[in-house]
This record gives sequence, structure tokens and C-alpha cells, in this order.
Amino acid sequence: MKPVLFLLLSFPLLGALILALIGRRLSRRTVETIACTAVVAAFVLALTAFLLSGQKVQSLTLAQWFSAGSFQVDMDIYYDPLAAMMALMVTFVSSLVHIYSVAYMHREGGYVRYFCFLNLFVFAMLVIVTAGNLVFLYLGWETVGLCSYALIGFWYEKPEAANAGAKAFVVTRLGDVAFGIAIALCWINLGHLSVSGINDSAASLGSQTAGIIGFLLLLAAIGKSAQLPLAVWLPDAMAGPTPVSALIHAATMVTAGVYLLMRFFPVIQGSPLVMALIACVGVITICFGALAALAQKDIKRILAYSTISQVGYMFLAVGAGDLAGSLFHLISHAFFKSLLFLAAGCVIHALHEEQDIFRMGGLRQKMPQLFWLFLAGTAALGAFPLTSGFFSKDRILLTVFLHPQAIYKVLWAIAAMAAIITPIYAFRLFFVVFFGQPHADRSQAPAPVSHPSVPNLMTWVLWPLAVLSLFAGFLNIPVNWAGNEWLAHYLAMVPGAAPELHASPEMESTIQLGSALITIVMVIFAWIFYGARIQPSECDDETFQMKLHSLFLNGFYLDRFYQTRIITPYRKMAVFLWHKVDAGWIDAGLDQIARSFLTLAERLRLWTTGRVSQYVSMMVTGFTLILCSLTVAWWYLQI
Amino acid sequence: MTIPFTHILFLAILLFAMGAACAMTRKNLFMILIGVEVMLNAAGIAFVAAAMRWQDMNGQVMALFVMTVAAAEIAVALALIVCIRRRTRSTNANLCSLLKG
Amino acid sequence: MTVLNIIFYIAAAIVISATGLAITRQSTVHAVCYLVISFMGTAVLFYLLGAPLLAALEVIIYAGGIMVLFLFVVMMVKDQQSPVDRPSRIKKWLPAIILTGISAVMAGLLVFADPGNRLRPPAVMGTPQEFGLILFQEYWFPVEIVSLLLLAALIGALYLGRREAREEDTR
Repeated sequence: MKPVLFLLLSFPLLGALILALIGRRLSRRTVETIACTAVVAAFVLALTAFLLSGQKVQSLTLAQWFSAGSFQVDMDIYYDPLAAMMALMVTFVSSLVHIYSVAYMHREGGYVRYFCFLNLFVFAMLVIVTAGNLVFLYLGWETVGLCSYALIGFWYEKPEAANAGAKAFVVTRLGDVAFGIAIALCWINLGHLSVSGINDSAASLGSQTAGIIGFLLLLAAIGKSAQLPLAVWLPDAMAGPTPVSALIHAATMVTAGVYLLMRFFPVIQGSPLVMALIACVGVITICFGALAALAQKDIKRILAYSTISQVGYMFLAVGAGDLAGSLFHLISHAFFKSLLFLAAGCVIHALHEEQDIFRMGGLRQKMPQLFWLFLAGTAALGAFPLTSGFFSKDRILLTVFLHPQAIYKVLWAIAAMAAIITPIYAFRLFFVVFFGQPHADRSQAPAPVSHPSVPNLMTWVLWPLAVLSLFAGFLNIPVNWAGNEWLAHYLAMVPGAAPELHASPEMESTIQLGSALITIVMVIFAWIFYGARIQPSECDDETFQMKLHSLFLNGFYLDRFYQTRIITPYRKMAVFLWHKVDAGWIDAGLDQIARSFLTLAERLRLWTTGRVSQYVSMMVTGFTLILCSLTVAWWYLQI
Repeated sequence: MTIPFTHILFLAILLFAMGAACAMTRKNLFMILIGVEVMLNAAGIAFVAAAMRWQDMNGQVMALFVMTVAAAEIAVALALIVCIRRRTRSTNANLCSLLKG
Repeated sequence: MTVLNIIFYIAAAIVISATGLAITRQSTVHAVCYLVISFMGTAVLFYLLGAPLLAALEVIIYAGGIMVLFLFVVMMVKDQQSPVDRPSRIKKWLPAIILTGISAVMAGLLVFADPGNRLRPPAVMGTPQEFGLILFQEYWFPVEIVSLLLLAALIGALYLGRREAREEDTR
């Protein structure tokens, strides 16, 4: 087992290293082959490890890292069912994204950098998923942040891409600070940093300490998973290439936050306050994301806000105490969201980098294959009955509903309302892009592409994802469908997971039927609104509808809020410190001292007159002084 | 006969001070040189007085050497003054200020 | 208070006043003449302090040689008047008076402080024979050096004083 896990981590790392060191000298084909082989091999190894391990937990040490006094950190792995499922999902989606990228980035320069960082990202994500101690996890955590920054800002000559990369890094950094503090607190309170040790001794932490650590971990997860209040980086991160968005911001990095909470579930469970807080954060973000996605025009931004919203569902599930439900939604979301992103990439690529959905239209006839793929993803996103999204979202709603505390009923109600909006924005996107005609009002609109074409490789990759997004519900078919809830039972060994939901089949069926009906109704609603006629809302009058629309469109003005309240004062302070303090006092002070020396030397220079009489006078003065001092010394010796 | 040693020394000190004052104050090159001469003379007096106080002939020998070296130095100094006079047409010491900073 | 003591104090007074006059003269020649008187007085002092040879040498070398040389050069250079020098100005002399006054007082204090200085050394004459013996037995090497020094000074003065063909002659 050890070689399998070792190779699982090393293949992507080796790929990244080879590309980093000698990638420039290799041909394009070789680079692409190395990158894809590394990740596909990792997928095969993950599958092997999954099959070999059963439900047992594997712990092993890969290498010694560093030690400082009594503080010893090794690179060790903790491979349990949770890690197994995550590794499988990560490597599977990464392989598909890599193959897709080969075609998508076909005409781009800088492909060595791209594939190197993509491989490094996969390695870092695998480190997060399989890490056995907190420091190793932190290493992976920071590296995914680094790769995200590098890949978002891949086209760094474009200012919005470079700014978006920096913004992503800085905002997630806020969460990372909390993570660092949490690590320190764990060390202080528990004395060790291994995952298994922390989870085993989580009960020994008081409720308060567990609450603080849990809160800090929540902050870290909020940063990485783009929840409120740190959700601002994800919509701007769409400035990167679409495969990057598919991999990092749909399937893997944004789920790293959720994974962190799942991994340290016993610690979080120790404080019901933190659990409720997690659930609240999730619910608020669900609403935020869904409402904002309703008004966006850019195809990728719709999907970005949708990701924010769906990750909120995962947070809600964790807050309600359901590990399996969160993981189920995580996996199904990974499938359908990456499918949607990659398909959107196909559309963008075919229409020559057009990203405004109101300038697309009628693609149903022009790109039939993509039509069916997109439909699969959208149906799963909107939780259409029998898709994977349907089962996973229903399980979450059921779990929240069944939670004993009263506040969770409120949260359930809000989440259910948000679940109404999800199919609306999902099918809005679908109908606008694929039906109707491109809007003809804008005079500067370019002529629509008559024969949009997409490389075969890009669409061929999407079929497995489509199949999975439709049928991945089989992972955890609930009891009232005579399913075995395989996933929930598979995760039974994971610390903190409780596989059994104490719900009667009738309640389950009722809730499921209700949500199915709502979804179908909303699909029809979206068809009426967006399918038959285009509604770009061009009117200029300041109606409440217009204001609401712009509120949603600008992401509830969260960016502007941060800009005015935090960034601008910080900048002002930085400029003040720069001009007044650094240049004004410190530099000027030093300059003043130097100048005073010069002035002093200048004054002293006037003393050398070149006249002998003055020099003799000075000598006599010195002589007089010496005599005076001798006399005084003698006098004091006498006295 | 004896004179207190302090008296002689004080005489030498007075003469030295007067010679130093002359060298400090006068601007004429010759007068500066005269001041130097007075100082040397005062030193000689001190040496001879010390020779008598300690009954040691070395003091007198030293006074002779002082005298001799003073002679050599005067010769060269006067030659230098002649040179300066040739160059600058005056014997004002303040004009020789090429070393002015 | 013997006669010699009185003579000593008179000679000392002559020396001091002659020196004082010498350094305050406006005309260089007058200053040199007063200085010659001062050196004569010094010679008397030397004799009283038991160094007759040195007294003679003072007169011969110092007063008779060096001062005469001074006069030669002064007359050659025709520096009778020094109009820029106005030694009667008190303001000009004030710093010198202060400084040298203070140092004289301090030195005097130091000198008078040592009780060993209060002695009256016995009046013994150092004969020229003794002087010559010491000079040429113990101090033969410095004598040679001094003669070399005199040679160097001679050559130096010769060179410095030589007249270039193209230089302007002193009018």
C-alpha cells in the first residue's frame, strides 16, 4: 500500500518538476504528454488505493521533513475512506481537465507554465486530502493558493487577470492566517499536530477551546471556499482560463475548505455554537450566490456565483452534522460544475471568446452535442429529479430539517427557498445560450459566428462527466428508494460521521416529491421567461426592479464595500507612511544628518587659513591647555 | 652665590612666553623668526640652569647643541625668506596662504 | 645677597626688557639690535650659572653670528619698513598676552610647587676643559651629526639663495 500512496503523490509532483526544470526544451507534444500522463497515472493509483484499502485506515510516513527541538514534523499520510473518495474525485476531474486543456490551450503560449502549475496544483490538492498532520496539510493548502494565483493570473499581461490572481491570493490569505493560529492552538492544547491524534483527543478539548479552534478553521474554510464574507475573489477569478476555473474553482480548491471542516469534524462537533455558525454561513452564502447568479450576464460569472452558492450547501450540511451528505454533494457538484465549466469553455472557444450570454443564442442547432452535454449539467445543477444533484441536495435538506435544534428549521426554510432559485438561474443560462436568437439591439455586436466549431477532444472529454453528473446519485441512494446508502456507510469509519439518518421513509418521500415538483415548476417558469423571448432589461428608469437587478449583478456591492471601507483607507495609510514617515522623517532625517556633517566640515574648513601666525596661535593654545590641565591635576593631587 | 632654581626657571618661562607671543602676533616673517630665536634662547637658559641645579654637564652640552641647531635653522630660514621675498615682493606672512583650505 | 646675585637679577631684568622691546619694534633692524642686547644679557647669565664657555659661545655664535646674519639679510631684502605691522595695537596683542600669560602662570605654579626646586644650587664653575672633555668624549657622535647638519644647512641655504638668471633681481 505504501508504494501506491507514495507514487500517488509523487507522479504529479514529478510532472511539475520535470516541466519546471526542462519543460522549455521539450516539444509541445512532450510537455502535454508528460502532464497528462502524470495525472492519469495518479488517477489509476488513486483507484488502486481505493480498491485495496477497503474501509481501513492507512497511516504511513513518506519522508521526514524538519524538526526544531522537540517539534518534529514529517510528511505523513492519513488515508481513510474520506481521503480515498476525495482523491478519486480530484484525480478523475484533473485528468479530464488536463486532456481538455491540451485542446483548449492549443493556440496559447506559455503552455509549459500552465501545465506545470496544473500538475503542481494536483499534487498540492492530493497533499491536502491525504495529509496526516496539520503542517503538511498547511503546505498543501498554501500551494494550492499559489497555483491558483499563478493560474488565475495566467495571462498576466491583462491587468484584470493579474489583479484577480492577486485578489484571490490576498483574500484566501486572510483565511490562512486563521488556519495558522488554529494550528498553533492545537499544538498548545493538544501537544501534537497529527490528524488522527487531534481527532482522537478532540473530546479532551473544552467546549470553549474547541469552539475557538473550530471558528478559526471555519475562517480558513471561508477564505478558501469563497463563502461570505470572503466570497469576493471567486467571480473575479474567472479571468483565468476556463479549464482552470473548472478544476480549481468548481471541483477542487473551493472544496478544500469543506474538506478541512470534514476532516476535523470531531473538533467542530465539540462546539454546537460553531456548528450553527457554519450552517448559518452556508445558508447566507447560498442565498447570496443564487441571487447574484440570477442577474449576471457573463457565462462564467453565473457559474462562479453558482459555485459559491453550492459550496454553501456543503457548509450547511457540515453545520448540520452530516458528513456523508456534504461529501455526496461535494462529489456530485464536482462532476456537474466542472462539466458546466468545460462546456462553457467549449461555447466560448467556438464563439471566439464571446462570454456574454445575451450575445449567444440558437446554439441548439449549431452545436447539438454540446446542447445535450450542457443540458445534463444544468439538470444536475437545478436538482432535476433523478439526477445526482437532486439526491445530494435532498439529503442535505433532509438532514437540516431533521436537526433537533430549532434554528435549523429556519435555516432549512431559507435553504429551501434558495433551492427554488437555483433551477431558475441554471435554466436561464441554458435557455438563453442555446435557444432563441442573439439579441440584435446592440449595434456594436459582432456578427454571430455562423459555423461554431469545437475540437473533438474538448467535447469527447465531457461525456464521462455528463454520465456521472446524471447518474452519480447511485452513490448514495436513500432508503426510501430501496437504496443502500453506500456512501454513508462507506464513511462510517471516518471520525464524526453518523451514517444513519433517523427519518421515516414517508417524510423522505414527501420532501423529495415536494422539491421535485418545485424544480419542474421552476424550469417551466424559466422557459417562459427566458426561453421564448430574450429579456436583457435595457430600460434606464430607476425602478425598484432595476435597482434590485443591479444589486444582484454587482454581487450585493460587496466588492465596492470592501474597496471603500478597507482597501482605500489601507492604501491611504500606506501612502501616508511612505511619503510622510519613510521619505519625510526617516530619509529626510538621515539626509539632514549627512548634510549637517557636510556643513560642519564646511565651517571647519574655514579654520585652515594657511596663515602661519594662526597656526602658531593654535599651537600655543594647545600648549596652554595642556599646562592648565597638568596644573589642575597636580592641584587635585595635592588636595 | 646661589640663586633659587625656581627664579631661573621662571625667567626662562617668561622669555619663552614672550617669544611665543611674538611668533603668534607679528606678521612680518623676520619678526616671527625672531620670536623663534627668543624661544630657543629661553630653552638654553633653562638647560644651563638645570645643569647647575643637578651639577651635571649634560645640560650645558645640550645648550650648546641647541645653539648650533638654532644657527643652522636660522640660515635656512633666512634663505627661505629671501625666496619668498623674491616671489611675492613682500614679507607679509599672511600672503603665504597657499595651504588655505 | 651677594654681589653675584645682584648682578644676576640685573642681567635678568636687562634680558627681559630687551626682549620685550625687541618683539614690539616696528622696524626689523631695531628689533634685531635689541635682541643682540638681550643675548648679551643672556651671556652674562650663562657665566653666572657656571658655563663660561657657553657664555662666550653665546656672544660669538648667537649675538655675533646669527644676529649679524639677520641684519645682512634684512638689509639685503630692504625690508626697513613693515607697514602692515602695527604692533602698538593692543587688540592685536590681546590673544597672545592672554594665552601666554595663562601658560606662564600655570608653568610658574608647577615650577614653584615642587619643593625640590627651592634649592639653591651651589655655584660651581664648569671649566672649558671639562666641557671639552665631555663634548668630545661622550658626545662625539652628536658633534659629528651636528656638523653634518650644519653642512646640510649650508648647502640648503646656498641653493635657496642662489640667483636664477631669468628671475627678477631684488631691487
